Amino acid sequence: MSAAITCAGVSKRFRIPLDRSTTLKYRVTHLRSAGRYYDLHALEDVSFEVPEGEFLGIIGHNGSGKSTLLKVLSRIYTPDLGSVSLSGNVSPFLELGVGFNPELTARENVYLNGAVLGLTHAELDRRIDGIIEFAELENFADQKLKNYSSGMQVRLAFSVAIQADAQILLMDEVLAVGDARFQEKCFDVFARYKREGRTVVLVTHDISAVSLYCDRVLLLDHGRLHADGNPAEVTALYRRMMGAVSEAEDRGQGGEVGDRWGTREVEITATRLLDIDGGTHRVFSSGAPLIVEVDYAVQGDTADDFVCLLRIDRTDGLTLSVPETQISRLTMNKQLPGTSGTIRYKVDALPLLSASYALTVALHDQHRGHTYDQIERVQSFRVIDEKSRPGLVELGGTWEAQPR
Amino acid sequence: MATSAETSRAVPDDSAADSSAERRTALRSYVNLTRELAVSSFKLKYTGSVLGYLWSLFKPTMNFAILYVIFDKLLHIGKGTDNFVLQLLVAIVLFTFFQEATISAMNSIASAGNMIRKAYFPRVILVVAATLSSVMTFLINMVLIIVIAAPIHHLSFGWRTLAVPLLVIELYALVLGLSLLLSSLFVYFRDLGHIWEISMQLLVYGSAVMFPLSLLDKHPTLKMAVSANPVAQIIEDMRHALVTPKVPWTVDVMGWAYAAPLALVVVLCAVGWYVFHRLTPRFAEFL
Repeated sequence: MSAAITCAGVSKRFRIPLDRSTTLKYRVTHLRSAGRYYDLHALEDVSFEVPEGEFLGIIGHNGSGKSTLLKVLSRIYTPDLGSVSLSGNVSPFLELGVGFNPELTARENVYLNGAVLGLTHAELDRRIDGIIEFAELENFADQKLKNYSSGMQVRLAFSVAIQADAQILLMDEVLAVGDARFQEKCFDVFARYKREGRTVVLVTHDISAVSLYCDRVLLLDHGRLHADGNPAEVTALYRRMMGAVSEAEDRGQGGEVGDRWGTREVEITATRLLDIDGGTHRVFSSGAPLIVEVDYAVQGDTADDFVCLLRIDRTDGLTLSVPETQISRLTMNKQLPGTSGTIRYKVDALPLLSASYALTVALHDQHRGHTYDQIERVQSFRVIDEKSRPGLVELGGTWEAQPR
Repeated sequence: MATSAETSRAVPDDSAADSSAERRTALRSYVNLTRELAVSSFKLKYTGSVLGYLWSLFKPTMNFAILYVIFDKLLHIGKGTDNFVLQLLVAIVLFTFFQEATISAMNSIASAGNMIRKAYFPRVILVVAATLSSVMTFLINMVLIIVIAAPIHHLSFGWRTLAVPLLVIELYALVLGLSLLLSSLFVYFRDLGHIWEISMQLLVYGSAVMFPLSLLDKHPTLKMAVSANPVAQIIEDMRHALVTPKVPWTVDVMGWAYAAPLALVVVLCAVGWYVFHRLTPRFAEFL
């Protein structure tokens, strides 16, 4: 597979002047200090390749250089050392709504913003109705942008941005703006990009998005490439780095992704989300089967039989379902240390509608007083409803009408 | 600002995307972006007003009317020269274009920080778009002069009229060269804004806008200096080409020195392009 992006030994430093002056008088009167600055090493010797069609995530704490890296990739910044080469056309936008002018109407802004994305007037003529419709702004198309709410502006910007035909898409924190519904739309587009085999680089703080969509993740720390690997490992490493912080932030239902506790007499060794054919997935269709498999290993003496519990939350924390072996009258008999097994939970037809969900797995004793092992949000997955029905679940009811 | 050999070594390697088809697509989208930017900034000038675009016609018409009344009916300036009011109008239209275009282009990079920090496209597009927006106003004015003023003053067209487009091209080249220079320097030295405005005051007189160049006949050195100014040369030649053959071609008056304003245009274009090119890579960091 050929590389869509090759980043070789890229370093970037910023000279931060101790006192920046842009006026002549200051320059003349402060001749000596005018040249003083300190170097901020935003990126140091970063190298990686992105094969065609890969969905790459870049994570790191604030100031780790991830946005700088994206700007170097998009040629907005010139690296001081090293080189970047891109094969295929690049969508040149990093944020939504670049070039938007509040004094112009939505329609005029679409043409302007579309031009920044590389679309011609004629192409936009063909697409404009679809863009306005997707943004749900049919009745406001000829209003000035300054009269729009911020939500409307974001919808419009997003609706234009997804028109980009580029093979390589570079996106910076697109998920940071907008409400939950907007994020759902973003995820739908990500899923489409993946299907179409486009190369995507996504800079984000949203760990669940990274583990859901990325094939590979880079972790940056102080301008250096700290880790480069599969999403599960790299996000786990990131969470450990952020450990102290995340515990403080951890309130509310459940807790942070990957939090784990328990005495480990029985240990969860793996969890998988499968379709009917046994393929592992992170995106499922409404009405299709979903199978959860949990591998466990018995490490020590358990007093009694044990219980497996799953919890399915929407990503905003709303708990939808807590299936449990005991209630379903499946007895998990006590096993000897050194043995292992697999627990399987099968849903024949997923009643969930479009949203992102997180799966928590726990192993308890049968009185639920003792936790052997519990992993919060060990897997995230998304459900896409092809019919785009509103709501949370399909109750599966039947209709009947009797006209009189 | 952008220093050292390091920078040049680190220019992103485009060779992989070199196929001519991709280049054509890129070029087409850049031309398209330039046009969208120019059109929208032209629109913005008139947005919100009741008369809208009509102002772009109405304003210069009123301007011409005022000048006509004051200079022709009241002051009787330039009695000795042929059609002085028209000469004045042409000079003012040319100079206004020069002034508007360079000032708006000077701000074009500094005021587009948001776009420059967030999206990649050749930065020169912003400068060209800013000048093009002024070109639209300029062309409207020129058409107005020819349509309204010409019949009143019985303009005679001839072979000399063919020089008009050439002079417009020369003026545009001058504006573009200066704009590149000013816009990139302005990012780093904001004083330039004020310096350039003052220079404009001086240039109005240094370009013989309000008086015929022949007024300086008694001061040959001063006249030489003014004629070396490309704006003065363009205005004077435009008077000959468009208004009256009684104003001589500058080349006939200046002789070999005619090379000076032409050379200045070429040098400004080259210097402007070079400085812009050198300063471009740091725009996104500095803005």
